[in-house]
Amino acid sequence: MPEGTGTLGPTSEGAAPVAPSDAKGSGLDLIELTKVFPGGTVAVEDVNLHVDHGEYVVLLGPSGCGKTTTLRMIGGHEFPTRGDIVLDGASLVGLPPHKRPTTTVFQHFALFPHRSVVDNIEFGLKMHGMPKEERRKQAFDALRMVGLEELADRKPRALSGGQQQRVALARVLVTKPKALLLDEPLGDLDRLLQLRMRVELRNLQRQLGLMFVHVTHNQEEALSMADRIVVMNEARIQQIADPLTIAMRPETELVARFMGDNNIIRGRVTAREGDRLIVENGHVRASVRSSDDQPSIGDEAMVSVRAAAVQLSDGAARAQVNSADCEIVFVEFLGDLVKLHLTVGDERMLAKVPGDRYPSLRGREGENITITWNEDDGQLLRA
Amino acid sequence: MGNSSEREPVARLDVAEIEAAEEIVEQRPPGERALGEQVAAERDGGWITALWALPGFVWLGFFLIAPLVFIVLVSFWTYSLGAKSGFTTNWTLENYSRLFHDSTYWHNMLSSFETSLIVVAACLVFGFPVAYFLALKVENLRYQIALFVLALAPFWTSFLIRSVAWTYPLNYILAKVGVASFSTASVRLALIQLYILFMVTPLFFSLSQVDRAAVEAARDLGGNWWRTFREVILPQTMPGIVIGSIFVFVLTMGEYGTVLVVGGNKIQSVGTIVNSYIQLAVQYPYGAAAAVWMVLVLIAGVFVITRFSNLRQEL
Repeated sequence: MPEGTGTLGPTSEGAAPVAPSDAKGSGLDLIELTKVFPGGTVAVEDVNLHVDHGEYVVLLGPSGCGKTTTLRMIGGHEFPTRGDIVLDGASLVGLPPHKRPTTTVFQHFALFPHRSVVDNIEFGLKMHGMPKEERRKQAFDALRMVGLEELADRKPRALSGGQQQRVALARVLVTKPKALLLDEPLGDLDRLLQLRMRVELRNLQRQLGLMFVHVTHNQEEALSMADRIVVMNEARIQQIADPLTIAMRPETELVARFMGDNNIIRGRVTAREGDRLIVENGHVRASVRSSDDQPSIGDEAMVSVRAAAVQLSDGAARAQVNSADCEIVFVEFLGDLVKLHLTVGDERMLAKVPGDRYPSLRGREGENITITWNEDDGQLLRA
Repeated sequence: MGNSSEREPVARLDVAEIEAAEEIVEQRPPGERALGEQVAAERDGGWITALWALPGFVWLGFFLIAPLVFIVLVSFWTYSLGAKSGFTTNWTLENYSRLFHDSTYWHNMLSSFETSLIVVAACLVFGFPVAYFLALKVENLRYQIALFVLALAPFWTSFLIRSVAWTYPLNYILAKVGVASFSTASVRLALIQLYILFMVTPLFFSLSQVDRAAVEAARDLGGNWWRTFREVILPQTMPGIVIGSIFVFVLTMGEYGTVLVVGGNKIQSVGTIVNSYIQLAVQYPYGAAAAVWMVLVLIAGVFVITRFSNLRQEL
């Protein structure tokens, strides 16, 4: 199982908190991996990452952030401009895809349209020179694993999207790779099936004890599936941490924004008592703890507060810090919860409260409301 | 792969749960349609489409079916020197029985057939790399089109001019390297050049359709370049190969202009024979019978090509 490389709470190193392990060690290491495309576009820059066997790592980020290019470099479909990719002590960089012990589940499944389901699954074994009977047997084992034995002779186009996805999965697992690479594997599925496949895929990975590196732009998917999440933006790693930390303690503004439903309070540091800072702008004062001596008084600073950590204190007077008098702009009912869109001055704020409070909030647009949050829920962001 | 054979796939997806989710996703009330779908479904009673196809049918009927029918009819009529058209409408099988024993005709049929096969094979072998390069190696659509048009450029000149232009240099070079000029070899070489584009074009479109992700997947699953090509690219290119082969086969089988020009009147093909019956001997019924036989051989050839490749299934 994964070692606790991503610890709760902010790490001081920021962009590269996980030092690459010894090159002789086990697992996958990306070392200062960089990709510059012809024409000068920097797709991936100085990515350092260690992934253990049996670990489920999700590369998360907006489109164009370099996550897919990173995955393609691991799989051998893209050659790094600089840096190294080391699996169990051996560099993969010089190897073409067919000589790497990795396999990829492609975004749109990329099944072979002219081959039956079982022939699709057998393909990898055939390429590795396995005799026909043996590979048939293993292909059917894999088909049973994904529950498609009965459709073995169909052509891919005669299958539903979900079934095609399971064929794609069986096709790569049958080759027993050391690392499985998944490029937006659930992106083509309908939402309900997506939700189911998250659980199933994660379960399967646990049972197999295999290293999965999964690329997605879907925050929820990353949180639900990963042992560790690597958030990327503009070719660089923003934060590497377990899902709880990513959700609760975003380190950078980008992560806080990208994960969604975070209030970002921009202001200046006006006071400092030990490790406790006061950050304020014209409308809001927030207190927050800082692990080092940055920023100092007078510096610009950003504090993130999760919308779900914001409480409504109807009627109560506003507190000195970590509180704001807001105007309700929109009350959005989402079933399990209510999202309040608020403004304080020209700042926008968000609050998420349980759905059963909707009756007392419905129709109150234009009214004022006081919100508060705990100091512990404030998180100092790096720019 | 690796030494991880102890990791047997005992792991399993909970298929029942997945299928339950899939069932909900895929259920659709009967009669429900998306907006565009409804319009299409209501508009099309079948008659409108048929009406649109009518001019095409008339055109084909007049210019393709009618002459064919007429040729078949003439082939069963009687040659008569005195008649104004050169034949009378008395029914006879004489043309066919005479043709049956005409060894020159069948000899030429065979050599034309051989020439066609060689030209088809050569067009495939030389055309495939060109189409492959254009479709899969040139990434930029603009360059793709530019290069394709460039490949087309020789076809902007008339076929006769190209044939004539080919004749002397080709025969000169052939003579230099010790091959008889104005020979079957020079005709074949000319035909390959003249018809290769009919192969390259369908191959290009077929190759453009090949899912590049599937090619990547094949590489990923352990296929080297050659096996990826043979197992993934080639099977998906079958429709293009078949259509290109049909084009080149049919066109070269019936070819007589190039044969006359490049062969310098020394080489014969079915086409030149049929032409000589009609143009020189003015034996329309006999020429018609010869033409009918040629059409039958062509149909048989096309049938064999499509059978051989299972085109219906591929498309």
